[in-house]
Amino acid sequence: MARADETETDDDIFSPRKNDAFLGHEEAEKTILDAWNSKRMHHAWLLCGPRGVGKATLAYRMARFILSGGEADGGAGLFGDSPNGLYVDPENPVFRRIAGGGHGDLKVIERKYDEKKKRLQGEITVDSVRTVGNFMSKTSAEGGWRVVIVDAADELNRNAANAILKVLEEPPANALMILVAHHPGRLLPTIRSRCRRLNLGVLEEHQVVDLLGRCCPDMDLGDRDALSGLAEGSVGRALQLHKVGGLELYTELVTLIAALPNADVAGQHKFAERFSAADKDASFATITELLHWWLARMIRFAATGQAPREIVDGELPAMQRMAASQPLDQWLEVWEKINELMGATRGLHLDRKQALLNAFFMLEETMRN
Amino acid sequence: MKLTIERAALLKSLTHVQSVVERRNTIPILSNILLRAENDQLSLTATDMDLEVVETTIAEVAEAGATTTPAHTLYEIVRKLPEGSQVQISLEPGAGRLTLSAGRSKFNLAVLPVDDFPVMSGGDLPVSFGLAAAELRGLIDRAEFAISTEETRYYLNGIYFHATDAEGTKILRAVATDGHRLARVEAPLPDGAENMPGVIVPRKTIGELRKLIDETGEAVDIAMSDTKIRFGFGKAILTSKLIDGTFPDYERVIPSGNDKTLDIECKGFADAVDRVSAISIEKSRAVKVVLSGTTLTLSASSPEHGTASEELEINYDAEDIEIGFNSRYLLDIAKQVKGDTLNLLMSDGSSPTILRDTDDLSALYVLMPMRV
Repeated sequence: MARADETETDDDIFSPRKNDAFLGHEEAEKTILDAWNSKRMHHAWLLCGPRGVGKATLAYRMARFILSGGEADGGAGLFGDSPNGLYVDPENPVFRRIAGGGHGDLKVIERKYDEKKKRLQGEITVDSVRTVGNFMSKTSAEGGWRVVIVDAADELNRNAANAILKVLEEPPANALMILVAHHPGRLLPTIRSRCRRLNLGVLEEHQVVDLLGRCCPDMDLGDRDALSGLAEGSVGRALQLHKVGGLELYTELVTLIAALPNADVAGQHKFAERFSAADKDASFATITELLHWWLARMIRFAATGQAPREIVDGELPAMQRMAASQPLDQWLEVWEKINELMGATRGLHLDRKQALLNAFFMLEETMRN
Repeated sequence: MKLTIERAALLKSLTHVQSVVERRNTIPILSNILLRAENDQLSLTATDMDLEVVETTIAEVAEAGATTTPAHTLYEIVRKLPEGSQVQISLEPGAGRLTLSAGRSKFNLAVLPVDDFPVMSGGDLPVSFGLAAAELRGLIDRAEFAISTEETRYYLNGIYFHATDAEGTKILRAVATDGHRLARVEAPLPDGAENMPGVIVPRKTIGELRKLIDETGEAVDIAMSDTKIRFGFGKAILTSKLIDGTFPDYERVIPSGNDKTLDIECKGFADAVDRVSAISIEKSRAVKVVLSGTTLTLSASSPEHGTASEELEINYDAEDIEIGFNSRYLLDIAKQVKGDTLNLLMSDGSSPTILRDTDDLSALYVLMPMRV
């Protein structure tokens, strides 16, 4: 699934390297399997789709399947996949070695951790990609295929993208490149054209609930349900929200918005205060996203009249009240302004608390006018 | 796992294997070595995913078992233990820590599961034969200097070993080239090597191999397949990936029609080349060689530093010739000559030259000329 937030280090609640749970995307899996069984496996695959729907998980699944010999595991019906899925048992030695990072025939290219800055690098640099050439020029360690996973191809910088192109253009035999891309349109067209593209759509809500239950067994059903509503079909996003307490944040946010136009000023201050510390990058990113998302839903509701699913009690009446108070164009304008403000806050390191208070104030003003 | 081992024995083995493990590793398991104790032996395995070294040493094993622990930390600890001490290593099942004690020092080391450790030894190695260590050393030493470091032609980043026929005798050949020079070294083909595939052994493996040959001596057991090669030195075993590529048809670049031959005292010639080349400091370090009658004139010039020349008396009866070489390449080859005389076989100023040691015809070098 998608990695944890950009600014926070990855912990492995659901690291695709170790995760054997995979739902949805049966079509995609079947396509891969058919290609494999036809003995004419394309050398490069581009797995596209929104963040957190299971692209990397599928990539690792492919890698495990192929590196363990490409024999479909007979007993793989465990998670309701077809018995010929790409499933490899977590107790399989290949699974273990891949999870531990010790498989000689798998190379993973991802952003490196910057020791000095104590965070992940913003992009994949060309040095990392150059190691692929070296890896591909050697024979396989265990005698089978060699697999390279690029997670994610969107993060390749320009030089790195050109370097990877070199490998894509002249792949050796028995080598497979799997590129994961959140925004395939941003990749070089030359990269896109050399890969077989596989689109993964968003998950069904019940699948997100199911997957959440599998990786966080102690989360209660109501929370899982609410999170899956917030995540809109991306289990990665649901987990990310869970990690930063997104559901609580959302509930509080909705409560504060619902009180408008009679603002609970003390509450707003208390709420906004918690994002001002320097290490709250992730929470701040989450709250801006949630705010943005809530307003967008409200506007969509006002425009179409279709009531969205209520994730927190009292959400709908608040949306109705807001939508009724002003015409649509006003709200769109506010929505845009708030986005701009939040973007600037992140980009220019403005005071986050003030930015949030400002956003609340903008909403309040608009409702009063 | 529980065992007792002498510090000296442990340190010796660790010294051999730990150099393989890369110091900066982002994946924890790759900075570990695998310790396996059974049958009164302790085996240590280290890998960098491209090659693997396993070394076995005698230990008193009270309880068999295996684990992995950080290589460099273990090495540092053992190195600093007092000489002559007995080292006890034990791992309680489920404890998650390796205990190492010697005298009154005690260390607890982090461990990772054995299952996560990379495996290189799997797979069949259908061809196997023995080769004297001196023979292997000779093949490597005389070819190693010509290995290319250029990554784009990755198939030149190693020594190409293959079996072939030369005028009716079966031989084992080691070839290395970087496009400017080529070294071709031969040894009698050992029994069992007739069907060996041609393999390109990567440079790093050659380096590690060379260290092991120096320390063990005797015979080397070699086993290989299309994708892997293994060198067995009794207690130490080196397994390596190969370069996955086709070595170019090097025979084509070895000229056959060179008719101008020159025998020259190697040491004197090399020293003169070295002296003359001092003037040209650019990367190319070109020297010009002019052969005329009984005189060989070496000269070099540099626009900034001036010129240099030196004359040598020679025994030469073919046509006059003027040819330029990269002095560094010339010296590299001269260094490989163990006898007194170097033989140069030339055609003209723009064709490759063949160089050989007149006392040892098992090695042949080809050097491309430079325009000077």
